[in-house]
Amino acid sequence: MSASLQDKLRQGVENIETTPAIPAVVLPLLDLLNLPADKVNLDQVVKLVSYDNTIAAQCLRVASSPIFGLAKSPESIKAAVISLGLRRVETILLTCCMGKAFPAKKWALDPIVFWRHSLGCAMVCRKFSEKLGGADSDKAYTAGLLHDIGFLVNCMAFPKEFTAAIAYAAEKQVPFDRAESEKMGFTHCESGRALAEKWNLSPDIVEVVAYHHEPQKSVAAPGLVALVHLSDLLCRMRNLGYGYYERQKVDLLSDPAWAVLAEGHRALDGVDLVRFTFELDEAVEKIYEMVSMIFGSMAVGRAG
Amino acid sequence: MTTAAQPAKVSVNRLAEAIDPTFRQIRDLVYKVSGIYQAEEKLYLLADGCGRRIKQLNLKTPREYWDHLTVHPSRDGELRQLLNEITIGETCLFRSQPQLDALRKVILPEMINERTRQITKRLRIWSAGCSTGEEPYTLAMNMLEESEGLLKGWNIEILATDLNDRSVEAAKAGIYGDYALRATPELFKRKYFSAANDKKLEVRPEVKKMIAFSRLNLQDDSRMLFMKGMDLIFCCNVLIYFDGVSKGKVIDHYYGNLNFGGYLFLGTSESLLNLNDKFHLVHFPGAIAYWKPSLKSGKL
Repeated sequence: MSASLQDKLRQGVENIETTPAIPAVVLPLLDLLNLPADKVNLDQVVKLVSYDNTIAAQCLRVASSPIFGLAKSPESIKAAVISLGLRRVETILLTCCMGKAFPAKKWALDPIVFWRHSLGCAMVCRKFSEKLGGADSDKAYTAGLLHDIGFLVNCMAFPKEFTAAIAYAAEKQVPFDRAESEKMGFTHCESGRALAEKWNLSPDIVEVVAYHHEPQKSVAAPGLVALVHLSDLLCRMRNLGYGYYERQKVDLLSDPAWAVLAEGHRALDGVDLVRFTFELDEAVEKIYEMVSMIFGSMAVGRAG
Repeated sequence: MTTAAQPAKVSVNRLAEAIDPTFRQIRDLVYKVSGIYQAEEKLYLLADGCGRRIKQLNLKTPREYWDHLTVHPSRDGELRQLLNEITIGETCLFRSQPQLDALRKVILPEMINERTRQITKRLRIWSAGCSTGEEPYTLAMNMLEESEGLLKGWNIEILATDLNDRSVEAAKAGIYGDYALRATPELFKRKYFSAANDKKLEVRPEVKKMIAFSRLNLQDDSRMLFMKGMDLIFCCNVLIYFDGVSKGKVIDHYYGNLNFGGYLFLGTSESLLNLNDKFHLVHFPGAIAYWKPSLKSGKL
């Protein structure tokens, strides 16, 4: 990337930083998500959820939805946190915040499609990590949720160029990152990295954002990057992609990332990828429902 | 994955509350033995199937039925009965659109591209366990759709075999009612069918003549060895009835039957259960297949 492009990218990310819509809770929340569940203080989460009235109301509404199957709707944030469990509340909160931070009307990419993919990938990363017996399944979740934040940067800071890149990808049937390179000079991996660094996200998450399409480049977190890379591919093959038919076949077991993951995790050999795929299909409907609910009250201008 | 033949979706959550946990255990057993996975939203179909068996066997609870499937002397036979219950009525034309999309949008362009230098432009497709013909006719119609485009100048051979003589005869007749045609797009109905008795539709002769039907036992090793030069094998919900050893043998045959670069498709919720390590599992949007890597790819 040339120096002038880098400047342009930096400037774009600066502008996002100064938008008033970013809820103050996002960054502390990301920190919390990185902690193991037993280290998280329940009151801290309640406080974060209650910080912003509109977000708190939205969290309660989502928590009352039938997809979580609570016998009765939680009446307070604390009740919601207790009955749903910390991790679910954090997910709901993060998604609500991100939805608010990046208002729908500015998006070149349908936010519903974007969040379905991000939440789907987060969930697959966590499940995958659990199957590997990894202790870092919460980290894997965060990594999956944030891997494509570069698309948010593109939507917010470079809407015109990004719209052209999306149209180019659809017309030429090429992957997004290639279309971005050709039309913008940089990809969501690079713009995402700029935002992730600006937000001081942990180095392994920064690498996930930067290298999830080129996992071989990862130095600090090759295992995590490989995990996200594979989960991302799997989601795109199972109705959690970006809403267009990807004319490709994916051979996960022959992907170099699989070998990287296998190096650190013996348990990978025992993972039944077909069954894992079928299990992912089961979760798709829940993810669709949850994302629709979170964005239901927002003015979403584009259809999926 | 939504396939055209799936029943209307019922709220996952409501089902989760209503389903006896034993059915999840039965689901896992069925998967382990047959490779068929009953997804959460289809668990009620499994529960219904078990319910019918429980009634016929005069049992009282799902738990008793679990014992019947696991410790009873007739457990193998019972599992077969249950598989019949849960796969019954699954067959229809256009059963899996994602498989057809993978075929037309990814596989055919790939195969044609790889074979541009070959003199004989021929594709051989085998519908193994074709039942009453729904699958081979669906494939034939989709190939005809490509005949003026991608497949111009190509010769397409479709072989369709089944163990059951009566199924083969019905397949040759090619006459279908509403239920079998429930997922068939109107365009295809108009283009490739003509009216038959009892408001049924009959497949047109130009489609029929693309397919060679015959009776074949997949466990007949000597005949299996002769099924050479296949580019695609479709074998949906057939292997589920075989025990592990026989299934492994059939899959090995399929590997030998396929050309390099060929694909094996199973049913939409069916797995090979790691019974063969030479095939590569590949994902297409919404579909899974087993690939015999091409010589060029260097992935052998």
